[in-house]
Amino acid sequence: MDQALLLLLDAANYVLVIVLVAMGLVIVFGLMRVINMAHGELFLLGAYTLVMLQQAGVSYWVGLVAAPLLVGGVGLLMEELVIRHIYHRFLDTILATWGLSIIIKQGVILLFGPGAQSTTAPFTAQLDLLGSSYPAYRLFIMGVALFVVAGTFYLFFRTRFGLAARAVIANRDTAACLGLSTRAFDRATFAYGAALAGLAGAVMAPIMSVDPQMGLGFLIPAFLSILVGGAGHLGGPVLGAGLIGATDSVTASLWSPVLAQVVVFTMAVIAIRIFPTGILGGGRK
Amino acid sequence: MNKVSRRRLLASGAAAAAAAAGAGALPGLATRVLAADPIRVGAVLPFSGGLELFGNQAKLGLDLAMKEINDAGGILGRPLEILYEDNKTDPKTSVEKARTLIGRDGAVALTGPILSSSRDAMAATVNRSKVPLLYATNYEGGACSRYIFSFNTVPNQELAKLLPYMHETFGGSTYMFGADYVWPQQMFEAAKGIIGQQVGGEVAGVEFTPWGVKEFAPVIRRIADSGAKVLLFALPGGDGITFIKQAEAFGLFDKVTVAFLGFAETYLGAFGPGGGQNMWVTVPFVASGAQPGVTDFVARIRAQAGEEVPISHYVMTHYNAINALRDALQRKGEVGPEAVVDGLEGLTVSTPTGPVSIGSADHHVTLPMFLAKTEGSGLVTVEDLGRIAPEAGCS
Repeated sequence: MDQALLLLLDAANYVLVIVLVAMGLVIVFGLMRVINMAHGELFLLGAYTLVMLQQAGVSYWVGLVAAPLLVGGVGLLMEELVIRHIYHRFLDTILATWGLSIIIKQGVILLFGPGAQSTTAPFTAQLDLLGSSYPAYRLFIMGVALFVVAGTFYLFFRTRFGLAARAVIANRDTAACLGLSTRAFDRATFAYGAALAGLAGAVMAPIMSVDPQMGLGFLIPAFLSILVGGAGHLGGPVLGAGLIGATDSVTASLWSPVLAQVVVFTMAVIAIRIFPTGILGGGRK
Repeated sequence: MNKVSRRRLLASGAAAAAAAAGAGALPGLATRVLAADPIRVGAVLPFSGGLELFGNQAKLGLDLAMKEINDAGGILGRPLEILYEDNKTDPKTSVEKARTLIGRDGAVALTGPILSSSRDAMAATVNRSKVPLLYATNYEGGACSRYIFSFNTVPNQELAKLLPYMHETFGGSTYMFGADYVWPQQMFEAAKGIIGQQVGGEVAGVEFTPWGVKEFAPVIRRIADSGAKVLLFALPGGDGITFIKQAEAFGLFDKVTVAFLGFAETYLGAFGPGGGQNMWVTVPFVASGAQPGVTDFVARIRAQAGEEVPISHYVMTHYNAINALRDALQRKGEVGPEAVVDGLEGLTVSTPTGPVSIGSADHHVTLPMFLAKTEGSGLVTVEDLGRIAPEAGCS
């Protein structure tokens, strides 16, 4: 029984981490139809913001607040300088954001070098859970992920901003006629997605290698989650992450990480075959 | 000022064009007949794409060897020039760069790369062009050809003393965990043999992980539950750092001690103060070693590259490879790819850690090895293991 609960705990941890990383990607892809290939690099920037501040002697908590603000600012710049010119050219957004991702990654290599940087978690305590030790910091990560999901759902479904945002998605022209500034909405949404990537980077930095390649690792499961869950609804990727993350974690626990990847990709292929637009549907046509 | 430099530029451009025309008429030959022409060695190394740290370490050693050789008057009166090419940590690019270095630049030998996949990809090119590859990274063994020389260790040299020592000191069984590609798989095969026959210990489990996995909680839990006392670890790069960080947070190292294969001191900066301690390795070079040759070598590298730079065995093995090339050419008294091969066979080179002998048949090296563990920001030697001969896996 304890074994099964530990299995669930590991799976929940991984699912929430994917959700945390995927949320920004989903908002930008699902609401703006921009496949942001630079999302992993925004994640990277979040982690390096934390590294920079920690090396300057600033506390972890300041870094945690600064990372989403700074990366959100970078997102705003990206939107203003590049993305807004190519909203209607779907394939070009992939190319443009990919180019941006290379610029950011190489910029980080130039500034910090190719090596891994050290970061320290704000607390290193281990809790005794079900007779097995569990790092308290992982519970903190799960808390942050839950907070981000809840906050995002609240923002889009319970506030005036969310109402306006959904109006713009549903019918851009009508929303504009009714006096909503669609430009402001685009800007805010992209910056919010980028800020979430930055937050995820700062949160994950203490438990992974902080190096210029770090953005890639979570990007693939995050994209898979969106494909499986569907991009039309905010709940889609959460569901997708649940399926992908739990399958991966449970298979890795019971058998091996190699088999886990095979199973996850097979499952994703089957899911996409049955639900071409994702389980919850693709939304906007 | 501007005019002069522009004129110079034009003049040198014209000269280059003339040289190119000459090279076009006599491909490959034009660069080799002039006596004062430098002896060119091509270095195909990763300076981007993920393994930059290793590429940069190799370059430290190569740069120092080139500088020292040229300061001492070159080889047979000719200066040595090392041409660096970035293989982007990619096998296909490695082959393209190797072809360029041999065909366009007339390199008498190549050195690099780091990954086995890149080396295997380049093997066909060096065999066909009959230009030797001086490989200086520890690997799984079995790369045997007239045109391939290995200046670092093969599995038995890394494992034969490490595994018995770990078993005696920490007892219990051994768990093996590494990346899912040829080097860890071959290393673990060799390790299983040594543990079964020599040590009489038990293997608690063998497990591989695909590249790019960022979440190791299930694996960490399995290792902790296996009851193993020793973790034989072969997961290079960022994934390895991620694993160690997560395992440390889970308190795994209270239960098991890590024997780290493919370790480089460059990793230690990533774990933060107090992290990544007490990890055990056998390596051909420990920068904190007390031998005069080592302290002198470290001082020379630091004078060139700064006080802060970590110095791993990759620095020394690449340095050794170039010095061996010099000795080989001087031994033969002529310059050319065949002279490098003939000169290297059976050669003994003096290195910072002592004499290193190149096998005349297997082209692998017998070299001094050290048992060491991580402490602070580097390695400390625990035991001088003496010279260990390679089991190169050449049939």
